[in-house]
Amino acid sequence: MNNHEMLSTGQTPISIDALERMLSNMTDAEIIDRHYNKDQKVTLLYIETLINPERLNESVIEPLNRGLHDSIYDAISSTKVSEISTMEEAEVALMRGCVILHDPSQSQWWSVLIESSLSRAIESSETETILYGPKDSFSEQLEQNITMIRRRLPLTTLKAERFTVGSTSKTPVVMMYIEGLTNPEFVDTARSKIIEIDFDLFLDSSHLAAFMEDHTHSVFPQYQQTDRPDTCAYALDIGKLTILVGNTPFALIAPITFFHLFQSPEDYINRWLVASFLRIIRYLSFFLSLILIPLYVALSTHHYQMIPMQILFVLLESRSKLPFSPFWEALLMLITLEIIKEASLRMPSKSGQTLGVIGGIVIGEATVSAGFSSTVLIVLVGISAIASFLVPNYLVTKSNTLIQFGFLVLSSFLGLLGIVLGIIGVLAHLNSLTSLKQPYFAPLAPFYWRGWMDVFIRGPLKYMKSRPEYLHPLQRWRYGRRR
Amino acid sequence: MKAISLYNKTSAFNGIYIVFLVNRLQMLYFVLLQATFLVYPHMIWAIVAVGALSQINLILVSKCFSSELLLKGYQGYVELFGKQGVRILAGIGLLFLIVKIIVTVLGYMEMVHYFVFPSMDSNWLILSVLLLGYYVAAKGMDNTIRYVSIVFLCTFWMIGLVFPFFFPPIASIYDLFPLVPTSWTFQSWKGVLLIWSSLSGPEYLLVLLPWLGKQQKSLKYLSIGNAISVAEYLLLFIAAILFFGSHYLDKSKFPVKSMIRYLQSPIFERIDILMVSLHIFLVVFAFSIFMLMFYGGLRIVMGRSLQPGKLTGFVISLIALTAVMIILNEWIWKGYTGTNMLLELQIWLGALTYLLVPSFFLLAIKRKERLKL
Repeated sequence: MNNHEMLSTGQTPISIDALERMLSNMTDAEIIDRHYNKDQKVTLLYIETLINPERLNESVIEPLNRGLHDSIYDAISSTKVSEISTMEEAEVALMRGCVILHDPSQSQWWSVLIESSLSRAIESSETETILYGPKDSFSEQLEQNITMIRRRLPLTTLKAERFTVGSTSKTPVVMMYIEGLTNPEFVDTARSKIIEIDFDLFLDSSHLAAFMEDHTHSVFPQYQQTDRPDTCAYALDIGKLTILVGNTPFALIAPITFFHLFQSPEDYINRWLVASFLRIIRYLSFFLSLILIPLYVALSTHHYQMIPMQILFVLLESRSKLPFSPFWEALLMLITLEIIKEASLRMPSKSGQTLGVIGGIVIGEATVSAGFSSTVLIVLVGISAIASFLVPNYLVTKSNTLIQFGFLVLSSFLGLLGIVLGIIGVLAHLNSLTSLKQPYFAPLAPFYWRGWMDVFIRGPLKYMKSRPEYLHPLQRWRYGRRR
Repeated sequence: MKAISLYNKTSAFNGIYIVFLVNRLQMLYFVLLQATFLVYPHMIWAIVAVGALSQINLILVSKCFSSELLLKGYQGYVELFGKQGVRILAGIGLLFLIVKIIVTVLGYMEMVHYFVFPSMDSNWLILSVLLLGYYVAAKGMDNTIRYVSIVFLCTFWMIGLVFPFFFPPIASIYDLFPLVPTSWTFQSWKGVLLIWSSLSGPEYLLVLLPWLGKQQKSLKYLSIGNAISVAEYLLLFIAAILFFGSHYLDKSKFPVKSMIRYLQSPIFERIDILMVSLHIFLVVFAFSIFMLMFYGGLRIVMGRSLQPGKLTGFVISLIALTAVMIILNEWIWKGYTGTNMLLELQIWLGALTYLLVPSFFLLAIKRKERLKL
């Protein structure tokens, strides 16, 4: 690109003075002059905290010292060399961990990528733990994450499109999909959504999801966040997209349905009957965690007649000396539970035991002894709290809490009818949601009977011959050869 | 004011949606009263016979399903009846629709009041259901139609609760006799009319055709929906006969829900409260889909169907409908003893729309086709 072309595109031609100005007041920036073939001067510019010094020596300094080649380009022993000509390119290259080389004799500028890899070891997932199956999980290193997926899906049709988001964070984003399998409509929608993003900072994939989701004001996550490469590989194989974001171990999967959030990688490892049973238990737990406490309020406030006599005696005895109405009693206990849950996340891990003692003994036992809460409610709160953790996706668990409070208010006003009205409202909301413009509540609404094989139950793998219809994959059958 | 897109067509619906829509619209409210009107065991044959008649009527509905004109929506109606004709027909349709909405909501909320909250002012119950119905309707026609599959799955299983009534000691086989009528009274004819009116609902699918799209096997899906409804009618009626017996059946105001009261479970007593609450799913769905039809019809009457809908218009029509509903509840529904005027009116109007609308549309389509030739 010549100077005239650069000016017409609004770009600044690269110069040593401009680079020196750009790197001024940066203690980690280095500008070094070296000599090549004794008479040729070479200027090296880099940011030492972003590059790997050993690779700098191996790939650039030593070859230059040896001076065995006529040109600098031939001398550099790296495949990641590219010529640059503008200040904008130079800035991007320096910030990616490149060394910029200036050859004044030829008036050429080169960038050599020798970034330092600040990577931790591959560890097992902490958010989606499983007993059997692959243990590796993503790290903050984007390239490493791509490798983990590529090793599981060694296909040339597995495409990886790179984008940069964030005007200040310059976060790299990679969208992966299987060409010829994933519906191109999803790819186009996701691509245009990423390109349209105009914001400064993206520190996590959830920030990206917030800009890409179709419904900003919903409590339900519309992108599945996972740090498991096997989950991503499975999603890609059935026709979804995976979006990897730099400097975060969490990838985004889309389009998803509400029911995907209840699926665990272990479902496909267990025997199908066991997996189906566990999946049903998960749905049941989710439902219980939503309605158990509101049901207690509804029954003890409005519908005493629905409680069998023996249970009613227990409840009356338990509540006889309480100063609060069932609603206030439940509300206080739920808020206390949320405080404990939040504290357990924020506290240092070594204080976890203390929290367990305080939460379990002090709050549980003492509130009953002090007459602030009934034993029945303590039991129900405990069941509800444990049940909420059965959902593999933590984001759903948090949404769950908010809905539970809504149901609590409804149950105090309208009893059982209030809970049912709340459920109708939540289902209507779920029915109207979309993920990457695709229905969120499929295969229930829209109704795809065949998709049920992997929703409430996990059918035998060999019978799950087709990819989900609601994902509209270009290759319907999962077998290479139809049987 | 913000424009709203309630009538967008973004989804394609397969035939199963016709089954769900037909069945759930036929299971709305009258089915819960049927046993009180039918009373005698020989009315089992009446259910079967009217069900068969309904099937014949559905053949006419299915013929309308294959019409390209009705698939076009408003433009198609204009081609069929002319602009002025469509406005007049929409106006008449609105009257039928509003009575159906009012009777369904007020009737069911009376049941909720009776079984769940006898001490609460029924206006609050009505208001809460209407608000939820507005929320569902505000999601648009596409989403509301899609919601029927959730409604079906959440309510269909309730029919299973009547099975214990088919077995001793509750069931007494002698209550099922005589199966051959010994006399045929005015009450029997009224029962037949009620069954026919209960089966009404599929005629409203004709205005949903632009969303449902062209269906290759519409008659098959309409027939399945109708057959399921007739089977459910039979199960409910026979269970009520076996439980109450003919002599006591007409003494019960809401026989189906009353007999559920006698079911026992180790966790809940009074399962009827749970069932009455769950049936609200159906009422909210029906209200929201009829509400969307009502607002669409209102826009046609006012000559604004081609302009983008405004949130103001939708909200005003919601407020007006709520006010009408509460006034009618206060003036007519609350104070009646026995069958009230609105209920009686809806029995006749429902029967009339189901009888006339499919034939009327089919005749109009055939006439148009003949004119084209």
